[in-house]
Amino acid sequence: MSATVQTNHHPLAELWHYRHLLVSLTVRELRIRYKQSLLGVGWAICVPLSMMLIFTFVFTRAVNVVAAMNIDIPYALFAYTGLVPWAFFATGLNSSVNSLVNNRSLVTKVYFPREVLPMSAIGSAFVDFVVASTVLVGLVAYFHFFTDWNFNPSPAILFLPVVVVVQIIFMTGLALILSMANLFYRDVRQILSVVLQLWMFATNVVYPLKPDESLIGRAVALNPMTPLIGAYRDCLIKGQLPDSASFIYATLVAVALLVFGWTCFQRASYQFAERI
Amino acid sequence: MANGSVQLQDVSKRFYRGTAHDTLRDLLASGIRRLTRRGKPKTRDSFQAMENVTFQINPGEAVGLIGANGAGKSTALKIISRIMKPDTGTITTRGRLTALIEIGAGFHGDLTGRENVYMNASVLGMRKPEIDAKLDAIVAFSGVEAFLDTPVKRYSSGMQARLGFSVAAHVDPDVLLVDEVLSVGDVLFRQRCVDHMQKLVNNGTALLFVTHHLEQMQSFCSRAVVIDRGKIIHDGHTTDAVARYIDALKNGETSKTQATTQTVARVTGLVFKDKFNRETLTTHAHDTIDIDVRYELAKPVTNLVVEIDIRRDVGSRLANFSSIRDNVTFNTPKGAGCTTLKLPALPFLGGQYFFRAILRDPDSGNTIADTDYRFSLFIEDDDKGTGVLCLPHEWQSNNQPQPDIQHDIQHDIQTEQHANALP
Repeated sequence: MSATVQTNHHPLAELWHYRHLLVSLTVRELRIRYKQSLLGVGWAICVPLSMMLIFTFVFTRAVNVVAAMNIDIPYALFAYTGLVPWAFFATGLNSSVNSLVNNRSLVTKVYFPREVLPMSAIGSAFVDFVVASTVLVGLVAYFHFFTDWNFNPSPAILFLPVVVVVQIIFMTGLALILSMANLFYRDVRQILSVVLQLWMFATNVVYPLKPDESLIGRAVALNPMTPLIGAYRDCLIKGQLPDSASFIYATLVAVALLVFGWTCFQRASYQFAERI
Repeated sequence: MANGSVQLQDVSKRFYRGTAHDTLRDLLASGIRRLTRRGKPKTRDSFQAMENVTFQINPGEAVGLIGANGAGKSTALKIISRIMKPDTGTITTRGRLTALIEIGAGFHGDLTGRENVYMNASVLGMRKPEIDAKLDAIVAFSGVEAFLDTPVKRYSSGMQARLGFSVAAHVDPDVLLVDEVLSVGDVLFRQRCVDHMQKLVNNGTALLFVTHHLEQMQSFCSRAVVIDRGKIIHDGHTTDAVARYIDALKNGETSKTQATTQTVARVTGLVFKDKFNRETLTTHAHDTIDIDVRYELAKPVTNLVVEIDIRRDVGSRLANFSSIRDNVTFNTPKGAGCTTLKLPALPFLGGQYFFRAILRDPDSGNTIADTDYRFSLFIEDDDKGTGVLCLPHEWQSNNQPQPDIQHDIQHDIQTEQHANALP
């Protein structure tokens, strides 16, 4: 029993050919999300900003634990530089997990590289991420001019694109696996929303993490999101390059996941139209 | 530029019903069941959607794919377009392939017409510079220029379809697969799409056209593949293919009933002969045609009545010839027999016509054989008239010089005055 389908296109060449579809789908997703909404893309700012305000209030006013955190930058900056990349991560995954299932008519009626669907979900989350990041300029300026904290620009900020790319690679690998799994078993999206909640608190998003030698501590140390979020703070706020060992580890995990996810996705994509 | 081809070699596809696990709970449950070997294992309910299908489409060739509902046409399209993978067999595609299975794929009501054109065109594999270049042509073709920046949800369904059609019509692939999609929409628009596809084929595109609209298919496919229950039953000239298709349809419907009724008589064939007495499946308008009704009788019939009905593609009966109405019956012995109907100067315009033969035995009052519209004859017509009949006619000019009305009125007034002048 064998079946072969011969074409003169490599899957990557095929994906490259359909790059405009990726852009169109991303734009479509953004347009649909923000059409008939008063604030529009402003919501991309409001969500992480209000989260930042809540955590700042809780951790400094309700229970003052910030002092015990031992962080050398204002807590609001610390929280916002964690919450914005995390929102990108969580939104990207939550929308990509449904991307194949929600586009059923496309998947069953038209051929195109199916990777484009989860990738465009990440693409639209990325636009939100960029918009939300602009607020950081205002926040840094506020703390620089109105508090005794001083911002020291450093060439380390040039490393920022590398951090963003590694996060996108990591997310794409996950998104390919999750969207495919959700096509076969719709439980995946439910599980994902719970896992993401838990994952956020196992990451240095709103507090620093110092993994100890306990079993939980070792498990937390394996989380590649912690070095990534640390890297954002390092090169944006602290003006230093991230810790190389942990950042290389995160990069390797991200690349391995993308290769694995993409291979599985390629193999399974022929079944999508039948199983969706 | 277009120079594509498709080749299918022994392609088979089987579908399983009721075995997919849609939730993890199902998967766990069936896993446990399998482990503990309790409960009956689900039977693999399956059907063969395609069985050893082999055919090829060459560059610049337009091939029709016809078959009853569920015969495997859509599966074939989905497999060729790589939406699905076959179980066995080889598919080789040369060049860029586009499949039009759904019109307006990816359309979203909240997006404007323009945004949806970009969306739909990129779904079909067009690149942005290509879309930019063709946008004006697409919009002009669709005729919705005025509403281009209106969200598509405010469009009428016809407008949406036209816009979808227009994008589809402007994809210039090497291999084009077209499903039923082009058979909706108004006639003029449909004709435009067909003309456009014809142009593509002339430029070397390999076209596979799936349809139930036989006339439309015949208008530009010279070859057709007939598929029945997953198997190819005919691959060749379109006219023969149509006959085989109708045959397969009727066989599928009558196979059960025929077995139960006792056959007294059977029509073995309906044979068309041209003026040189040669068997044919095509003829010209105004030509003479002889129709041989060949049959077999299980017992002699003293007053056999032969009837022939003619109709167009789908529609009402165009003509009925009944020998008894012409006071002709045939005293026929048992065994093979043949009756010929001679039709001088066929009055039909070009197209496909379907014929049905009926045998009656007035003594028992029964119809003893009925072929239904299983036989077809293609009439070629250089005249290209529309309609069904070409009636004898002539034109005459009645433009006589008009009488001078002014003068007549003047005259009337004068006579009136004259009349008044009388005492």
